[in-house]
Amino acid sequence: MDVAELLLTLSGCTGVSGAEQPVAERIAEIIKPFCQRVEIDPLGSVLASVRPAKEGYPTVLLDAHMDEVGMIVTYIDDKGFLKVGNCGGVDRRLLLAQRVIVHGKEPVYGVIAAPPPHLSTGEERKKVPSMDELVIDIGCSPERARELVRPGDRVTIDAPGARLLNDRICAKASDDRAGVAAVLRAVELLDKEEFPWGIKALFSVQEEVGERGAKAGGFAADCDIALAVDVSFALTSDAPEHKCGRMGEGPMIGISPTLTASISDRFVALAKEHDIPYQLEVMAGETSTNADALGVAGKGAKTGLLSIPLRYMHTPVEVTEPADMENTARLLKEFIKEGGELYAV
Amino acid sequence: MLFDTLKELCELNAPSGFEKPVAEEIIRRLDGIYDYRVDNLGNILAFKKGKATPKNKIMLSAHMDEVGMIVTGVLPDGMLRIGMVGGIDPRVVLGRTVSVGEQKLPGVLGTKAMHMQTEEERSTAVPADKLYVDIGAKDKEDALKAVPLGTPVSFCGPYRELGEELICSKAIDDRFGCAVLLEMLKSDLPYDVHVAFCVQEEVGLRGSRTAAYTIAPDIAIVVETTTASDLPGVEEERQVCRLGKGPAVSFMDRSTIYDRELYDLAFRIAKEHDSPCQTKTMIAGGNDAGAIHVSRGGVKTIAVSLPGRYLHSPSTVVSKADALAAAKLIPLLAEEAASL
Repeated sequence: MDVAELLLTLSGCTGVSGAEQPVAERIAEIIKPFCQRVEIDPLGSVLASVRPAKEGYPTVLLDAHMDEVGMIVTYIDDKGFLKVGNCGGVDRRLLLAQRVIVHGKEPVYGVIAAPPPHLSTGEERKKVPSMDELVIDIGCSPERARELVRPGDRVTIDAPGARLLNDRICAKASDDRAGVAAVLRAVELLDKEEFPWGIKALFSVQEEVGERGAKAGGFAADCDIALAVDVSFALTSDAPEHKCGRMGEGPMIGISPTLTASISDRFVALAKEHDIPYQLEVMAGETSTNADALGVAGKGAKTGLLSIPLRYMHTPVEVTEPADMENTARLLKEFIKEGGELYAV
Repeated sequence: MLFDTLKELCELNAPSGFEKPVAEEIIRRLDGIYDYRVDNLGNILAFKKGKATPKNKIMLSAHMDEVGMIVTGVLPDGMLRIGMVGGIDPRVVLGRTVSVGEQKLPGVLGTKAMHMQTEEERSTAVPADKLYVDIGAKDKEDALKAVPLGTPVSFCGPYRELGEELICSKAIDDRFGCAVLLEMLKSDLPYDVHVAFCVQEEVGLRGSRTAAYTIAPDIAIVVETTTASDLPGVEEERQVCRLGKGPAVSFMDRSTIYDRELYDLAFRIAKEHDSPCQTKTMIAGGNDAGAIHVSRGGVKTIAVSLPGRYLHSPSTVVSKADALAAAKLIPLLAEEAASL
């Protein structure tokens, strides 16, 4: 698998929180050849049983969330315009005049507007409309609009991906399809290897609205070790340096009171041993990733977190560097392949 | 036909001062068929002989340029600083891909994640001078190898059908005017007409100034695109004009008080041909008429505009029915104005 290609494919699939089916189907299809069994759980997460552990050895759960932030139709007005609410954290400052796709009976194109557009000058141009003030113009009569769209339909920003200089990739929903790509790649890298550990993979729903998929999926997977793969901030000049990693400098190994210290340490040791670039991301408590939910699902699991540095999180132009995904996959591979007696049960 | 031409023209990138891609396409369509010249600024001045030479010398004009951006600097981390070319609300560029330079290098306008924004930052628009374009460059040197200062930057806003009869695209302002005039040139004309495809409208009505000087018309008809704010929550008198109600003909805007006789004539012709036409219900906007009507000793001028929502954004929305009604009205207006 070429992770860049894979990311662009996954980014092209739709999967706003709570409506992940299109991306779930694609992921299930890709991982199936490497698995014993692939199932969709009651909330819609993809739970793949990749291989069982040998007697006395642990099974590790690899998790990446497949949902993306977006919007949800709440109302269709008497002129055929749509009102929407946000699904997950949507940056309202970039919504004006964005092209969107309303995932109705069929894909319906639209443009986001906030009255009064373009008469505004000076002061008004500094204002950011609230979600409540926004409408989506789909160019339809109210009758036609109601035929095509129902309240509850999801809306995504129409943002085709692009390849930038230095192999960097601009792709919507890279949070966390970049993580999904890294997990898929890790599973592929491990496919022909001999080792005693078992592997499950969870592509979870509804992370962006409160890690809900990981709560249920983590319970059902019932593993002793859970590794969440998500994205974190890559430095740009408008962001505080101390909160950011750097793009292209490898996976960010999470260190936190809520993560298992021996796992963080093991990641660092393996990265050094195998010459895999890495950076540290130290947090003071919960990590705002699925690691928080996975650690306390069911009887609890030892938890680790790897984050892929990403610019412009929660915008339609998220940027990542494929080398960071590949290196994340490599580090996951070494962690599992070389686990040996560590964490034996 | 009109919409095929419009689509082709909209898909070209031509911010003010960099009109060449559109100019070349227009010349390709004129070459060998009509007389034309390109003036010192880059305006294309075309002439088509009609069946007769009219009493009044008629000039029709449209502008080739579109709003966009220009690279003004490079930050140490390889991000491109940009300046706005023409009146762009900075809120309509954030979070989008753009096309940089003739090589159409993709770039993105991002922002730090909302997780790192204060509540105040979240509800304050990012001003134009804080925007930057990420082309993936590693550092300043890497960026400058690919993109020299002064490189134009264009919106990515593909032409697309929207809903039942609308179109959404970047640059409809004013490729629509260019498309209408190209189509009109193809038809049998009763009178001679001069057609000016102008540069630099968006940065101060500059091309049309010299075009009008050179052509020296008696009467000018500007074919344009204008703001429609017919959205829910906007009071009717503040909507300016409305999609689906035909071309907008204005009595006054920020650049021009239009010739009353031509204004009345436009509505009379529309009525006679049972074709929709609307006035603008606010004194808003401006266009090349502002430069043309004060050219030389004065030119009687009128503008016929296609109403467009979200003008000067990558996603201007217009009505096909309005476009067809404008394309029908304009030659009729030129014909009658010729013999006023």
